[in-house]
Formats: sequence, C-alpha cells, structure tokens
Amino acid sequence: MIHLIQVVILGVLLGGVYALMASGLTLLYGVMQIVNLAHGVFILIGAYVAFSLFENLAIDPLLSVVVTAPMMFLFGVVIYRLLFVRIAGGERYTEMSVLLTFALALVLEGVLTFVFTGVFRSVTPLYATSAINLGQLFIPSAQLYASIMSVVLLVGLWSFLRFTRLGYGIRATMQNRTAAQIVGVDVTRVSTVAFGIGIGLAGASGSMIAFLFSFYPARHWQWIAILLALIVLGGLGSLKGAIVGAVALAVAAGLVGDTFGFTWSPMTFFGALFLILLIRPQGLFGKSRVA
Amino acid sequence: MAQLEIRNVTSGYGNGPDILKSVSLTAEAGKAYCIIGPNGAGKSTLLKTLAGLLAPREGEVLFDGQSIAGIRPDLVLRAGVCFVPQEQSLFPGMSVRENLVMGAFLESDRKKVVERIEETLTMFPLLAERSNQAAGTMSGGEQQLLALARALMIRPRLMMIDEPSLGLAPQAADQVFGVIASLKAMGITLLLVEQNVMRGLACSDFAFLLDLGTLRLEDSADRILDDPSIRELYLGRHVKAPPTAAVDSADS
Repeated sequence: MIHLIQVVILGVLLGGVYALMASGLTLLYGVMQIVNLAHGVFILIGAYVAFSLFENLAIDPLLSVVVTAPMMFLFGVVIYRLLFVRIAGGERYTEMSVLLTFALALVLEGVLTFVFTGVFRSVTPLYATSAINLGQLFIPSAQLYASIMSVVLLVGLWSFLRFTRLGYGIRATMQNRTAAQIVGVDVTRVSTVAFGIGIGLAGASGSMIAFLFSFYPARHWQWIAILLALIVLGGLGSLKGAIVGAVALAVAAGLVGDTFGFTWSPMTFFGALFLILLIRPQGLFGKSRVA
Repeated sequence: MAQLEIRNVTSGYGNGPDILKSVSLTAEAGKAYCIIGPNGAGKSTLLKTLAGLLAPREGEVLFDGQSIAGIRPDLVLRAGVCFVPQEQSLFPGMSVRENLVMGAFLESDRKKVVERIEETLTMFPLLAERSNQAAGTMSGGEQQLLALARALMIRPRLMMIDEPSLGLAPQAADQVFGVIASLKAMGITLLLVEQNVMRGLACSDFAFLLDLGTLRLEDSADRILDDPSIRELYLGRHVKAPPTAAVDSADS
C-alpha cells in the first residue's frame, strides 16, 4: 500500500510539471487553432537558458523562471508577428500552422545543436539529489519544488485569464472568435499576447525540466509526443483538461511502469491517446464539433 | 444629413465572386430599416461588411460623416455601430453576466459597466433570473435575448440585427420583436434583416429590397407591404395571395 501511495505521489508531482508544459500548448490551440509542434523546442530553449545561467552565473534554475518566462514571451511575440500573422485567416490555416511549427521545430533544434552541441546536459542544484522523508514515503525535493512552482504559475495564469480585461479577451476569443470581434476584441492583438504567453509558459517549464531530466537538442520530440497525448485526452483548447490529463496520465504512467517495468511507461500516453480517440474523441473537457 | 451613408459598396468572401454589387443606401438616425430579399441576395454580406468582418472591395461607408469602410470590427464598434449576427454569437462557456461584461469590452470605466449590467438585467428580467447560468445551456430564445442585451451594453447608436427570430418558437419570437420595438423607442437606428418579412416590415419605418447583390427598391415599409407585385415576387406565396396568383401557379 505504501508503495502504491509512493508511486501516485511521484506521478502527481511529475503531472504538475507536465500540466505547465501542456498549458501553453493548449492555450495556443484554444485561441488560434495552432497545433504547435515546436512547443517542445521552446521548452528546450528555456532549459538551455536555465542551464547557461546556472553554469555561468550560478543562478538557481527555479529562480531562472524570471528570465526564461519573459524572454520566451518576447520570442513568442516576435515569432507570431513574423510568421503567423501572414497566414492567419488564410485557407487551410490549421494545416499551414502545423507545417510551419514543424519547420520551426527542425530549425530551432538545428540552432540548439549548433550552439550547445548534442551532449547530454542537466542542471544540478543541491536539491536535485536530495529528498524529504515522510515516514516510509520519500519525496524528491527537485520534483516537489518543480511541482510547486508549476502550480504557482498555473494559478497565476488562471487568475490572469479570470480577472483581467485582456484575460477576458483571450477567453472570449477561445470560445467564439467572431463573437469576440463583434464585441470589440482586437483578436490579432489578443492572439499575439496569447502566443507570447503560451511560449512564455513553455520557457518557464524549461527552467523546471532543466533539473528534472537530462536533455539534448533532439529530446523535444519525446516531449511533444507526450504533450499532444495529454491535451487530446483533456480536450484540445481546454486548460482544465490539460491539467487533469497531465496529472492523470503521469500517475497512470507511473503505475504502468511500476507494474510492467519502466520501458512500458511511455506507452501509457499513446495507449491512452488511442483509447480516448476511440471512446471520446473530443477529450474529457473538449467541445464536440457539430458538422 | 444621413447618419449612415453607403456608397457603391461591392463585397464578397475570400477570392469568391462579388456577392454585393455596388450598393448605395442611406439611413437616418433613429429610424428602423428592414432589409428584405431572397436567399443569397447579399443581406448578411451587407451587414458583415458594415461591421468590419468583411472589407469592402470597393466603395465607401460613412457613419456620421466619418469613414468606417474596411476598418477593424472593434473600431466600427467604437464609432457606435454594433452587430448582432445570425449564427450563435455568444460565449457559451461564460455566464450570462460575463457575456454582458464582454458586451462592454470597449468601455474602460468599470463602474459604468456594473451600472449598465444592472440596468440591462432590469430591462431583461428573464436574464436576471439566470445571470449565473452558462450562456450555452440556455434555450434559443433566451440566447437571442442575451445577444441583444449584450449588444446594448456598449450603448450603440446603430444596431444591425441579422435574422433575430430565425429558428425560434413563436412565443420566443414575440419576445425578441418586443425587444426590437423597445430598441427603436430608445432612439437607436436599426438595420434589420428578417426572414419573417411581415413582422420585420411591421416594426420598421423603411425597407430596402436587395436581389442578387443589388438594391432593387427602397420605400416606406407600409408601401412595400401594400404593393401586390412585391408581395408576389419577394415576400413569398404564403403571404395572402394577390389576384395574379392563379396565372403564376399555372406557369410553375
């Protein structure tokens, strides 16, 4: 029993970080119908920035969020203005955006390999190897801190969407783009900001990933595959869905790994993806499309 | 001077053909205008073009002498022109109250927004009862009332309403037309597209008849209602049959 609780705790902690990674991805789809295949690379850029700050200036990776988030926000705004505004509203916009983000992923991966080489990296603050013992349970400090930071950022995102005028504009655009235009929301501006926020969240989760996993430039393909499974499970474009999907699948992957061996745990995500598409294609909290 | 002046406006979707072909018309402040015509006449296209959702390919639109052709929808709204579209135009996951808040998105004075929500809920007691209900879970009639109420939140001077009674039960339609009458009483200029032509004309002062993207006729709503040839051609045969009906049915 204790062992089971242990596995679930680890799953929930990891799920919190996955939720942060997925939140930006689902936001981009919700507001702009962009399936951002480059989301993993943006996370990776955040991780490499955290790595550089730690190696060169000894800045704690948790603290590096104040650099990675705003930096990636700006990067997102520039990318959106430069690349996405010109295809917005065009024919086959969603398909075009998939191709565009795929190309972005390849290009940025190339740049990362050029700058940081293909060597495995990880950031090792003191807490990366320590743990808190609660009776027979043990909680790795790194996962605990990363999870707490993720929750703080997600609550921040939720409050922003719930209580600010711009947040209202973003939610309105997510629910009904034309209606948002009709009540006076400048959807281009809202989309730019939302894209920036989505990429900013990716950057922030990069700071966390940096001390949770070891990484190399091609690592993002694994992450994007998992993240896509998470947000399809939750319902594309639903923030609540992304969070529930992330925690549920992280726990499930932990249990599968514990029972059948850890080579099987990544399979959990794709097995769940397969099942959800069979049973409930709109996801847990997604809107079912009529015609 | 006319409040709204449309000069030779041509408009259409994407790379498609012109739907609206060089239409010119004017509207006086405080009057109600019904736009009638068969399917595909360009009625909705005209409203979408005026609302800034479609940019006109040619032509000029003046509101109070200021050009509003081809500008962003939020700027059209700022100028005082508001649009209530035909399709679902609410935020389904937001509550009635939040939808009303969104209606005043351009109003930066939060105190005014709160006041207006109270005023609106007094005017629409049915919505007041449901102020915390998600808009998407209400009936079609209630949603249409909310769409009209939300449009009022910005205190527009001209309201364009596309097919307000489409798909509504008779009772719900009665409520919607009741609201339209009170909008007119409030002095708001109305541009109305309505498939129930008799009722649309009954609450309007003037009518424009569009056909195949061009303006065929403009006259007072009363005269159009009384003109037998127009009734026959454009108002449909379910309207009380004029004397020539026998000849016509022999043709078809």
